[in-house]
Amino acid sequence: MSDGEHPEPSEAETGRRASGQPVPPEAMAGIWPEPEHRLSPLTMVTAPLSYLRNFILPIGVAVVAGSFNPWVLGSAAVAITGMLVTGFITWRTFRYQVGTERLEIRKGLVNRSRRSIPLERIRGVDVTSHLLHRMLGLAVVNVEAAAGGGEKEEGKLDAVTAAEAERLRRVLLHRRAVLRGDASDTAAEAVLAPTDEARETAKMRAEAPDSAVYFTMPRSWYLYAVLSLGYLLTPFVALATLLGFTAQIIGDIGPRTEVGDALYTVYLWLEGIGRSALAMAAGAVLAVLVLLMPLFAVVSYTIAYWAFTLRRSGESLVAERGLFTRQSVTLEHRRIRGHELLDNPLERLCGAVRLRAIVTGLGESATRTVLLPAGPRTRVMGVVEQALTPFGGSLIRHPRAALARRLIRAVSPFFAAAVAAAAFGLYWPAALLAIVALAAVPLGVDRYRALGHGYDGRQVSVRSGSLRREQAVVQDAAVIGWTWSQTLLQRRAGLADLKLAVGAGDGGYTAIDAGFGESVSFAESVTPDMVRPFLLRPGPAEESVEARGR
Amino acid sequence: MALGAVVLAAVLCAAAWGVTAGDWGWRPEPVRRFAWWVPAVYGIYAVVRIGVAPSWRYRVHRWEVTADVIYTRVGWVSRQWQLVPVSRVQTVDHKQGWLERLFRVATLKVQTASHAGSSTIEGLDAEEARRISEELAVRAAELRDDAT
Repeated sequence: MSDGEHPEPSEAETGRRASGQPVPPEAMAGIWPEPEHRLSPLTMVTAPLSYLRNFILPIGVAVVAGSFNPWVLGSAAVAITGMLVTGFITWRTFRYQVGTERLEIRKGLVNRSRRSIPLERIRGVDVTSHLLHRMLGLAVVNVEAAAGGGEKEEGKLDAVTAAEAERLRRVLLHRRAVLRGDASDTAAEAVLAPTDEARETAKMRAEAPDSAVYFTMPRSWYLYAVLSLGYLLTPFVALATLLGFTAQIIGDIGPRTEVGDALYTVYLWLEGIGRSALAMAAGAVLAVLVLLMPLFAVVSYTIAYWAFTLRRSGESLVAERGLFTRQSVTLEHRRIRGHELLDNPLERLCGAVRLRAIVTGLGESATRTVLLPAGPRTRVMGVVEQALTPFGGSLIRHPRAALARRLIRAVSPFFAAAVAAAAFGLYWPAALLAIVALAAVPLGVDRYRALGHGYDGRQVSVRSGSLRREQAVVQDAAVIGWTWSQTLLQRRAGLADLKLAVGAGDGGYTAIDAGFGESVSFAESVTPDMVRPFLLRPGPAEESVEARGR
Repeated sequence: MALGAVVLAAVLCAAAWGVTAGDWGWRPEPVRRFAWWVPAVYGIYAVVRIGVAPSWRYRVHRWEVTADVIYTRVGWVSRQWQLVPVSRVQTVDHKQGWLERLFRVATLKVQTASHAGSSTIEGLDAEEARRISEELAVRAAELRDDAT
């Protein structure tokens, strides 16, 4: 476990060339299998600690509640020693090696496991480090790869030094690119050059034209937390967690132990004060929490989005954020199919908008596709212009008939409930529901105003929603199918929902209540080859796919 | 489906009878008065569903597989049109349940990278379904476009 056993990457480049490559040899120049690496020795400390974090409270409580009974103390000591030994063994047995074609991860003393991830299949390399890791200069590397049958496979290196993590990210992505034959060669010299100086200069050369910082978060943006309902509710979530945690601990302790008795005494004392006082205290706490909501929101938002940066690194976008846990997500341009602009009514009022990427192969992991937190629209659009392709066209409004439908959709449930309540003679709830139904009128109008779809020759855009308005912008080549659906009522009104299937992001984006004929010619303009064969006569918009089916 | 409808109708009737016949003080008057409406409405719905819907569906359902695109139309009251390009097809499933085998029909399921772009054709002639699924698989491999 001395440092000598942790070889530096540069000193042991063997120079052994792999033979029998399907890739042209000149592309493989400078790519050799690396020697085996170990995780950072510091993981012997971090792994048991992060594992212990979940148990430290129960163990502490057990030790105290057992009044320092030697048996309890002994078993706690054994548990802790066991974890330290496990940490040591894990470090000793864990090896990883970046080969020419695959990443090998070996671990285990008794049950040996060996995972081999083909570099070609790597989808992304994410680097995260939480507080403890950052204090020790470590980072966790997550290698995500596509396994057979559309499944996912992950290789986790927990943890290596931060520099090594950054190096791994570049090496893995570069080698993958070379294997796929779409390498941009300058990028790799940086990490593969033999000496430190050469590496430094190569790095400068590679990075100069190859990376750019699109965005770093200004201080004022943290205040946008106040506009996000999710963050406003944090104090209540925290309270609920705290209550649940206390209840669990009290449940764990049980009534027989001394601590349990003490708690019971406290409870009796509280009961003695009187219920009304208790209720008042609870009310006061609630009021304070409500007043503190904006403060809590800003604090937790700041923790999550601290120093958010968006930059380009080679052929990828890298988004980094977080105060304690620093998270860095790499999204390749090759996998980005478009972007989404999101806002809620509050954010609309302040002209703020959020930006997310539509990426293939990431599934529905919403937090990882965040490209920008809420910010002023003009600034966000500026970043879109630099980093992605903005939508240049305008959105087609949906027919007036859609307004009636949105209104009925928004109002009718509450209206029906109000009528039902009135019929049963429950006048108070009926009045309340009627007020809610009235309040839903502007909601319906706003939902109608949000509706729209458009095509600017390169990208398709679809917008809908009010409480969470969402405008998706997708490259036309990424549209892999169209679905029109029409209910009886929509048929009467000549409307239809048009869903464009995309093999990325949520999988599909719907233009709600678009004019049926108009939506068909819209689809035709985007993908003529796909739609035209099914039109009865090419040309006028009214000739719909329906005609052919009859 | 018919069996399930009969069972559910019976359960609903029993519930309605239980509500009206029992002598419980707490149920409000309207509940007792309208209790029998629930099974009645469900009965009408079930009759329509079993008696009318299938033939209606049969009239609506269309499918067409051209060289490049799979087109389907399904539904009865609400309708759905779907276009899926063959070049983006990832898997073609050909399935036959026991009832389907009895009637010599089959279901064809075409999947793409997006769950929204997956198409199902039900009630195809079994032989034809097999032929189409094989053709589609070959065609999809030829036209393969990895850009999802």
